[in-house]
Amino acid sequence: MTRYILRRLLQAIPLLFVISLVLFFLMQNMGDPIATMGGRNVTRSADRERLKRQLGLDKPIIVQYLYWLAGNDWAKADLDGDGIAETPGTRRGVLRGDFGLSLVNKKPVTQVIWERLPNTLLLMLTAEAMILIFALLIGIYSALKQYSTFDNIITTVTFLFYSMPVFFFALVTMYIFAVNFKKWGLPYLPTVGMFEPTAGKTPLQVAWHMVLPTATLSFGFIAGYSRYIRSAMLEAMGQDYVRTAKAKGLPKPEIVYIHALKNAALPIVTIIALDLPFLLGGAIVTERIFGWPGMGRLFLDHVSRGDTPVVMGILMMIAVAVVIFQLIADILYAWLDPRIRYT
Amino acid sequence: MVIRQSTRLFLFVLVVVSMILAGCAQPATPAATQAPAATEAPAVTEAPSVTEAPAATEAPAERKVATFIWTQEFDTLNPYYTNMWFSSVTQQLYNCWAWDFDEANKPQPRLVTELPSVDNGGLSADGKVITMKLRDDIVWSDGTPITSEDFVFTYQMIMADRNTVASRNPYDLMEKVEGPDARTVVITFKEPYAPWVANLWRGLLPVHVLKPIFDQEGTIDTAEWNKAPTVGCGPFVFDQWESGSFTRFVANEKYWLGRPKLDEIFFRFVPDDASQIAALKAGDGDLGTFFAYSDLPELEAAGIKIINSFSGYNEGIYFNMHAEKGHPALKDVKVRQAIALAFDRQKLVDDLLLGRTKVAATDWDNTPYNDPSISPWPYDPEKAKALLDEAGWVDSNGDGVRDKDGVELVLKYGTTTREIRQDTQAVAQQQLAEVGIKLDLQSFDPDIFFASYAENGASANFSLDLIEYSDSPNFPDPDTSAWLCAEIPSDENPTGVNTSGLCDEELDALFKLQASQVDYNERVQTFNKITKMIFENVYWLGLWQDPDLFGVSSRLANVKISGVTPFFNIMEWDLAQ
Amino acid sequence: MESIAPPSKGSIANLSPDVLETPPLSLGQLTWRRFRRHKMANFGAIMLILLVLYAFGGAFVFSEAYANKTETGARLQAPSREHPFGTDTVGRDILARTIYGGQISILIGLTAMLVELVIGVTVGAISGFFGGLIDSLLMRITEAVIVIPQIFLLLVMAKYFAASIPNITILGRTFSGSVVVIILVIGVTTWPYLARIVRSQFLSIKENDFILAARATGTSTSEIIFRHILPNSIAPIIVSGTLSVASAITLEAYISFLGLGVRPPTATWGNMLEGAYNYIETAWWLWFFPGALIALIVLSINFVGDGLRDALDPHSRAI
Repeated sequence: MTRYILRRLLQAIPLLFVISLVLFFLMQNMGDPIATMGGRNVTRSADRERLKRQLGLDKPIIVQYLYWLAGNDWAKADLDGDGIAETPGTRRGVLRGDFGLSLVNKKPVTQVIWERLPNTLLLMLTAEAMILIFALLIGIYSALKQYSTFDNIITTVTFLFYSMPVFFFALVTMYIFAVNFKKWGLPYLPTVGMFEPTAGKTPLQVAWHMVLPTATLSFGFIAGYSRYIRSAMLEAMGQDYVRTAKAKGLPKPEIVYIHALKNAALPIVTIIALDLPFLLGGAIVTERIFGWPGMGRLFLDHVSRGDTPVVMGILMMIAVAVVIFQLIADILYAWLDPRIRYT
Repeated sequence: MVIRQSTRLFLFVLVVVSMILAGCAQPATPAATQAPAATEAPAVTEAPSVTEAPAATEAPAERKVATFIWTQEFDTLNPYYTNMWFSSVTQQLYNCWAWDFDEANKPQPRLVTELPSVDNGGLSADGKVITMKLRDDIVWSDGTPITSEDFVFTYQMIMADRNTVASRNPYDLMEKVEGPDARTVVITFKEPYAPWVANLWRGLLPVHVLKPIFDQEGTIDTAEWNKAPTVGCGPFVFDQWESGSFTRFVANEKYWLGRPKLDEIFFRFVPDDASQIAALKAGDGDLGTFFAYSDLPELEAAGIKIINSFSGYNEGIYFNMHAEKGHPALKDVKVRQAIALAFDRQKLVDDLLLGRTKVAATDWDNTPYNDPSISPWPYDPEKAKALLDEAGWVDSNGDGVRDKDGVELVLKYGTTTREIRQDTQAVAQQQLAEVGIKLDLQSFDPDIFFASYAENGASANFSLDLIEYSDSPNFPDPDTSAWLCAEIPSDENPTGVNTSGLCDEELDALFKLQASQVDYNERVQTFNKITKMIFENVYWLGLWQDPDLFGVSSRLANVKISGVTPFFNIMEWDLAQ
Repeated sequence: MESIAPPSKGSIANLSPDVLETPPLSLGQLTWRRFRRHKMANFGAIMLILLVLYAFGGAFVFSEAYANKTETGARLQAPSREHPFGTDTVGRDILARTIYGGQISILIGLTAMLVELVIGVTVGAISGFFGGLIDSLLMRITEAVIVIPQIFLLLVMAKYFAASIPNITILGRTFSGSVVVIILVIGVTTWPYLARIVRSQFLSIKENDFILAARATGTSTSEIIFRHILPNSIAPIIVSGTLSVASAITLEAYISFLGLGVRPPTATWGNMLEGAYNYIETAWWLWFFPGALIALIVLSINFVGDGLRDALDPHSRAI
C-alpha cells in the first residue's frame, strides 16, 4: 500500500507540471490585464508600453511561465525603458513558494487567496454537512418505504430539484423568501453578502446570511445523492445477508444502519471524497448571485481582469487538492472494501 | 413496532419542519433559535440575542453613519495605482487633490491658497512654469503638516522605474518639480501644457509614511498603505477594509476645513445592479451609482433622488475609416451621413433610456468647447436613401441590400455585452435594414473589446466597421488623442488609441494646436472648428449623452455631485432626521 | 393407483417443446418492455415529445423574423393576450423566442452529447482495450481535463473564440457562430466522465472467454472492439448519453448566465436568462418562462434516463 501511494504521488508531479503549463497558456487568452485596468477609458499607449515592461508582460509566454515557476531574481529586466536589461527581478517563483503579486492590486497572491478562503470553506463545509445529513435521511427513508406516498413525493421533488439549474433555484428562493416575504411583512432572508457591515461580523449575522446560499448549493446535491443512497440501500436490503439477519430476528434499526447502510455507503464515501476538492473553487454561480465574499467571486473578478498570478494560484491549489483527494478516495475505498487490493 | 412508528414520525416531521423553517426563522427571539439549529451549522445556535452593532449601543449620541453601495470592489486605494472609477471617486474621502471641482465643474482650491493663473504669478507667460502656493493649515490625519516635500515625493514616486503606477500622465511631460520652501511648489514643463488644470495632482502620497518603505523595498507597489491608507488628508480617515464585503471610513478630526458632519461612511460591495437596487429600495444603502435607465422609475418611486452628473462621457459610434482596412463604403461622407439620418436615435433615447438623457451630437456636448450651432442629425430615412443612391450604392441584385462594384453594403457593428448596447444594436439593425444597409451584429467581452491592437482587441484591430462605446475626452479638459494620425495602431505602433484609423491632416493640425494654447478663448475657438468638422463629416455618430447616475436616499442632505470629483462636498453631507 | 390418471388428449403434455417456449426477445424489445412499466419514464418521454413539438412545431406558427422583431415602444410588457409570455427589454415576444430558443438549446444539447460521445467512447475504448502505457497516458490526460475546473475551461474557450465569430446559415436559419463554439466547449469539457465509464466496462469485458475465443479465431482488433465488446457495454453509454443531453442544456444555461454564451439576437433558453436576473422583481416573466422550460426538459430527460437505466440493467427485477 505504501508503495502504491508513493507511486501515485510520483506520478502526480509530472501531471501537475503539465497542468500548470496548460493552464498558464490558457490564461493568456483571458484578455489583456492592461487594456482598461478596470477603468472606463482605454489605457494610454505610453502607459501601456511602460506597464508591460514593468510587469514583465512583454516577454514571450514561455519565458513568463518560467518566471512564474522559478522566479526572476536570476534574470534581469529592463525597467527604465532604455532597452538595457539591468535590474534583477524580485520574484522567487512557485517552486520556492512565491506565487507572485496580483496584477490587479499588487498584493501577494497567497494573501489575496487567504483573505477569501475561510469564507468559502465555511459555506462549503456547512453545505456538505447539510447534504450528507439530508441525503442520508431522505435516501434511507425512501428506501425503507419504497413506493409509499412519501417515497413518491420525495422522488418527484428530488427529480425536480435535480433538474433545475442552480441559478434558477436561487432566483426562485430569492423571489419567495426575500422579495415576497418582505412584501407580506414576514421576516425575510438577506440576499447579499456575509453580514451587514453596520452590525459587524457576528456569528448570528453570518448564519442568517448563510441560509439562502447554503440551501441553493445543497438542494441539487441532496436530490442527487439521496437517489443514489436510495438505490444502493435497496440493493443492499435485497441481499442474502440481510435476509439472514432478519431471519435471525435482529432489530430493524440494527439491520438498516449497521448491516445495510455500511455496505451501501461505500460508493458514497468515494463520491464525497472526489467532490470535496472542488469545494475550494467555491460555487462560482452561487457566490456571484448572493455576493458571498468567497473564492468563487475572487476567481471571477480576477479572471475577468486577466490577473494571471491570482488565477494560477487558485487553479493550482484546486489541482493539487484534486490529485490528493483522488488518492484519498482510492485508499479509502480499498480500506473500506476488503475485496480490493492495490499492487 | 412502537419504536418503528415513532422513528418514522420523527424523521418525517424533522425533514418537513426543517425545510419550512429554513425560510421563516426569527433570529432575535431565543425560542426560535431551535428551528435554525435544524438547518444551519450546529456551532451557531447559541448566538446571544443582541444583534445591534456595539457602536450603536455604546456611544452616548447616535453616530451618523451613511452606507454607500458599490457594485465593484476597489482594487487598491492608492490614487496612482488604479484606473477604476469606483476607487478614484472614493479618494475624495480619504485623500486630497490640490484643487477639486464643484457641481458646475469649476475648479476650487483645496490644498492651494488659490488657483495658479497668469494674474497671480502662478502661471508663467510661456505656459511652462506653474507655481503653487500651499495653505498654512493643511495637515495629514496624523497631525504631520502637508508640505511641498509631499508633492515632490509624489512626483518622484510616479516616475520611479520600479513603481507600476497606472499612468504617468502628465508627469512624464514635466522637466522637474521643486519645493523651494515648504509652502511653494514649482513645476516646470518641457512644452507649454494646456490641460494642466484637469490633470495635475489628483491625489497626494505622504512622504513620511512611504519614503521609508521605498528606501527599503525599492518600490511602493506592495506598501501596506496602498490597501490601508490610515494616514490621509481627506475629510475622512480609512478605518477598515474587509475583502469582498465592505470598507469603513471615519471622520477626520484634524481636517482643516472643519470636521465633517457625518461620523462614519460604509462602502458595501454587492455583486450586481439588482442587489444594489434592492438595497437602496430597502433603505439598506444611502447612495448608489450606475443604474440602468429602466431602473430609475422604481427607484424614484421608493423615494430615491436621482442626480445626473455629467462627466464628459457620450455613447457613440466610431466609423472604421482606415485607409486600407476600412470598408469602402465608409470612406464616403454621404454614406456616413445616410447612416446618421437612418437611425432614429431620439426614439431610442425616449424608449430605451426613458427620455432621461439626450441624443449626443459630439463628444464635447455640455462643455463650452462645443460649437453652439451643432445639433444632432435628425431622423430622415428618405434623405438617407437619396444620399445612398447619390453615392452609387443601389440594390442591383434585389436581395434587399445595396451594393456597388460588386461589394455588398454589409457592415460589422460591434460593441460590448452590456444589455443596453445589445438592445441598441438590435434596433439599429432593423432601422438600417429599412434603407438597405445590412448590419452584422457582434458583441464582445469588455477585456477583449478594449484590448490593444497588439492583443487583437476587437475595437483596435479594424475588423469592425461600426465600433460603439462610451468615450470621453480628458474631462473637464477637452483634450484627447483619439483623432491623431500618430495614434493609429499598427504593427509599428501597437498601442495606438485612434480606433477609427482616420488620418485627416487638417483635424490633426487643429488638435496639435489646441494642446499648446494656454489661452482659454483661443482654445475654445479651435475646438469649435474641431467639433464642427467631426460633426459634419460624421466621423463620430453620437447616440446618447452618458451622465453618471447617482441615486441618493432621502436620508442624506446637502448632497452635491461634481462630474470630475463627485464627492467634493462630502464634509457637508448630513443625515436628515 | 387410480388417482394417477394418464394425461388426456389435448392437455399440456401433448404439446411439443417448440410450441411451449415463447420466442426469445431481443435486447431492444426487452428494454422497451421494461421501460414501458416505469411510470415516471413514460411521463418523461411524453413530456419530452411535447417539448420537442413545441420547439420545432411552433416554428410553423411564428416566423423567425417575428421572434427577432424589436419594438422598443412595447418593451417589458406583462403576459397578455397579444403576448402570452410577455415581451422582453426590446419588445420582442417571449413566446416566439422560447420556441426558437428551444430549437437552438435542444440542438446544442444533442450535438454536444454527440461530440462528448465520440471523444469519450474513443478514448475509453482505446484505453480500456490496449491497457499498459497507452492506458496510463490516456488516463493521465483524462485526469488533467477533470482537474482543470470546468468553469475555467468554459471561460477560456468562450473568450478565445469570442473574437471573430461569423454567422452561420443552415437550413434557412441564420444564427450566430457562437453556437458551434458552445457545442465544442461543452463537448470538450464533459468527455472524461464517459471515458472512465467506458474504460472500466472494457477492462472487465475483455477478460471474458468469448473475447478470448474471438482472438483465437483471428478476429481483427477493430472487429473485436466494435462487434463484440462495444455492443455489450452499450447500456451505460446510452444512459450516460441521454443524461448528458440534459447536462449540456444546463451547462449552456450556465455559460449564458455568466454572459459568455450564444450571442443575441440568436435566442436560446439560456441566454434569455442572462439579463433577466436584474428584473427579478419587476418583470418575472423574463426569467420564469425560459427557466421553467429548461427545468422541464431536463426533468423529462432525467426521467427517461432513469427509466433507461432500470430497463437496460440485466439485474433489474422489473419484468
